Amino acid sequence: MAVFMATWPCGILLPLVFGAGELSAQVGRIPEGFTPLFNGRDLSGWHVSRTTHHGTTPSVTVEDGAIVMRQRPYGQGGLLLTDRKYRNFELYLEAKPDWGTNGGVFFRSTEGGSAYQIELEGGGTGGTGSLIGEMLRISKSAKPADIGRVWKPDQWNSMRLRVVGDVPHVTLWVNGVRMWDVTEERNDLIADATEGMIALQLHWSATYTPVPDAFEMGESWKPGAAHRYRNIGIKELR
Amino acid sequence: MRLARAIPLALTVGATAAAAQERTRTNEITNGVGMEFVLIRPGSMVVGRFQPTCPTPPSGGPQRDPVDARARWTAEDYRRCEEMVKRDAMPGFTVRIDRPYYIGKYEVTQAEWRTVMGTNPSVFQGTKVEGDADRHPVDNVTWEDAQAFVSVLNATDTTARYRLPTEFEWEYAARAGAERDLTWAQINRQAQLALVDKGTTQPVGGKQPNAWGLYDTLGNVWEWVQDYYNEKLFADPTPPRAGTEHVLRGGSFLSDVKNTTYFTHAAGPGSGFDVGFRIVREVR
Repeated sequence: MAVFMATWPCGILLPLVFGAGELSAQVGRIPEGFTPLFNGRDLSGWHVSRTTHHGTTPSVTVEDGAIVMRQRPYGQGGLLLTDRKYRNFELYLEAKPDWGTNGGVFFRSTEGGSAYQIELEGGGTGGTGSLIGEMLRISKSAKPADIGRVWKPDQWNSMRLRVVGDVPHVTLWVNGVRMWDVTEERNDLIADATEGMIALQLHWSATYTPVPDAFEMGESWKPGAAHRYRNIGIKELR
Repeated sequence: MRLARAIPLALTVGATAAAAQERTRTNEITNGVGMEFVLIRPGSMVVGRFQPTCPTPPSGGPQRDPVDARARWTAEDYRRCEEMVKRDAMPGFTVRIDRPYYIGKYEVTQAEWRTVMGTNPSVFQGTKVEGDADRHPVDNVTWEDAQAFVSVLNATDTTARYRLPTEFEWEYAARAGAERDLTWAQINRQAQLALVDKGTTQPVGGKQPNAWGLYDTLGNVWEWVQDYYNEKLFADPTPPRAGTEHVLRGGSFLSDVKNTTYFTHAAGPGSGFDVGFRIVREVR
């Protein structure tokens, strides 16, 4: 059992017990003090990227108070971006990705989807909860020690992400348990940008027509599968 | 070398002078600003072909050994995939290019923009790039900015008519006679792309040209075309008469090889610092 100390936004030091007691999963509502980014009814405040390589025409609907993203047409994913850019913030959201899928939550993203990414795979498998770069070489990645111990497949899972600093200091909690805390070695963003959009990624799995030397991505998204997000809120920080 | 001062072309080069400075070679012409154009001859192409394929079980792909059996494709998944592929495939449609036109051999550069407009809106200039930015494509321009450039150029050089290419003119010139998409190896030889490690735009003409001698149709900066965006995967046979965004083509230095292809039908606003254009000069 590992015990960490972390500074919550209010400045109070809280003990974080990894692998045992969770702070508070809070699944089902946005934490107090956060501003909703999604109204539960429509996609106000969001738009689809028309320049990401994942695809420009994804199916994005609101079903039962959740954003539901599916490939459209077959093999073409996409990226749903906030209209606004954010610099320092805490983001809260709940995710339920179907099995056999690959997507993620971007932050400080460009319109075309160059961004820091929290990976999100169906069932919480693989790299779920990892910090990676998407069309961006980042100086320091991060990976949860054991995402399988906190992820609840086929259920709503909460993610709380804290991003502070031009050279970003990033912390991720999944279901109330801190996964990692990392400070990059530089501002990795293109053109030294210090802000960007929040975005939800839906991975591509087929090229427009067969390309003989393309990556084999065919099984990265099961036919008809979806990623679902709800209770999305943000608290901007100085 | 960076130009010492930004002086609008309109103040320095009149129509007669511009015409006098033009150089013409077979299939190519250079205008008074030094912009080079390549002649594109009429022909036809099939646009909008969509033929995705399903993985073949077992594919050996990234999920060949998933940690949980529930992530594996079942026989039903493969069957459903074949059904969806059949449902979504599109044969495309034939587009005829009836008239010849000249199109920019390169994307419009920062030096050319400065000469014509007297300004430089690019993000990637000065300390943001290595070396001289003059031969980098102008970036951070909206569709309206590109129209303003064309308007000033036309007012200055009255011996010719310049404009943005239509989407089909752009694709016809970029494909340079190719019926199928390029391989990823071919795309990497022609395109400045996936420069993800503090990447920037690159000087134009740094990669291999396409079969008709055009550089950077793929990669470097997205290129505005004249058409409104139809919010579909590919263009329609007739472009929309109105819309909220315009079409972008070709990908950029920050695009992936997957969409840095002459098939990709993208749209604004793009990321700003990777958006530029090339222009057409009509044949008289």
